[in-house]
Amino acid sequence: MNAVAIIARKEAGDLLRSPRGLSWLLAMAAALSAFSLLLISDAELSLLDNAEAVYGMCAVIMGLGALLAIVMGVDTVAGEKERGSLVPLLVAPVSRDRILFGKLAGIAMVWAAMYLLALPYLWAAGGAGQNLAEGLVSLALMGTPVVLGFGFLAMGMGARLSSTRSALMVCLVILLLAASPVILGPSLRQTAVGRIFDWINPLSVALNALDAVIIDSQAVVSQWLHWNLTLLFSGITLWFARDGFYRTAL
Amino acid sequence: MKRFATICFLMLGVVALATPAFALRISIAPDHGNPASPQMGDRLRFHTAIQNDGHATQEGVLAWISLVETDSGKEQPVDLEDWSAHKAVVSAALLPGQTVETIWPMRLIKAGSYRVVVSAMSRNGETLTASPFVDFTVRQKPVVESSRIVPVALGAPLFIAGLLIWRLRENRARA
Repeated sequence: MNAVAIIARKEAGDLLRSPRGLSWLLAMAAALSAFSLLLISDAELSLLDNAEAVYGMCAVIMGLGALLAIVMGVDTVAGEKERGSLVPLLVAPVSRDRILFGKLAGIAMVWAAMYLLALPYLWAAGGAGQNLAEGLVSLALMGTPVVLGFGFLAMGMGARLSSTRSALMVCLVILLLAASPVILGPSLRQTAVGRIFDWINPLSVALNALDAVIIDSQAVVSQWLHWNLTLLFSGITLWFARDGFYRTAL
Repeated sequence: MKRFATICFLMLGVVALATPAFALRISIAPDHGNPASPQMGDRLRFHTAIQNDGHATQEGVLAWISLVETDSGKEQPVDLEDWSAHKAVVSAALLPGQTVETIWPMRLIKAGSYRVVVSAMSRNGETLTASPFVDFTVRQKPVVESSRIVPVALGAPLFIAGLLIWRLRENRARA
């Protein structure tokens, strides 16, 4: 097995097999369950179309995925540095690129686990309605670059700040800022500033594409521009993570 | 004979004064913007005009909206808790000839056939006044089904919690 796969399995295995990681997944499942139960217990939410429920669920999944990726991304460099386990890894006869991509693959595997965890919830919310399959495809296409992008951002931030707390704080504030149009409602997005923010905010870009596909029944391929923007975000953050990782001193 | 007729006329006058008149009159009409075939989740509006047709001021006029399900075998009054936050209107005094116009918004929560009516009373009035009925039917629409949600919402966390407990026990056994 090559070094990338070994590191990826170790990173993902830490989350998916350890009690600590299972606790995180349990918290994620509890959050999805709480949202699902709100869909049937709240009078306003219970009147949502299946498609609107799936869209809301996708937004929650993407937000939780980004949060998980941030926690993992910060831990991969800053956390290992604080625990003293980064130095043995860097002096191992493996290139930094392989170590980096192993860690990135670990974040991707955790997002895949999160996606799989979300499937029964999405089926439960939207199985009886329209556009569930399109929603699943869109969530994979749009959600993956966004979630990984936040993971890369956290990794780069952790490498630069060399402090888990500081990096986590900065990344959470950025995530909160990115999620603000969703939290504050659609009225803010009608202004010129709101529209510009909508196009440069990867979370908004992905959510707008999901809205178009799931609620407005537009074709998935018609969202290629949104998809490219999310890819651009993950590309920039990947460069940020790689640059920060290479600057990490022994 | 003339004397008898006068007495009868006076007696009728007294009776007329003693009998409570229907001083309030309510007209009701659905809003022009209401959907022709509403479905669950849609919003309807009803306009009412409560007019004092009497000769005396009606004090403390209270009007409220009621909704009744009229499907065969399901006839029942509907609790407006989720349907409307605007359930009543109060007017301190309604002068003779004066009219109070009110708009009653409503969110359609459940499919079925319904009948809406607005009733009014005043502090010094002796009878209840009701508007004519307005009937409407709410169409069903596919929404989230609780029979699907509940097993997943309870099952998934329980499954992961089970895995977590098993892993903790395994770690303890190894130690």
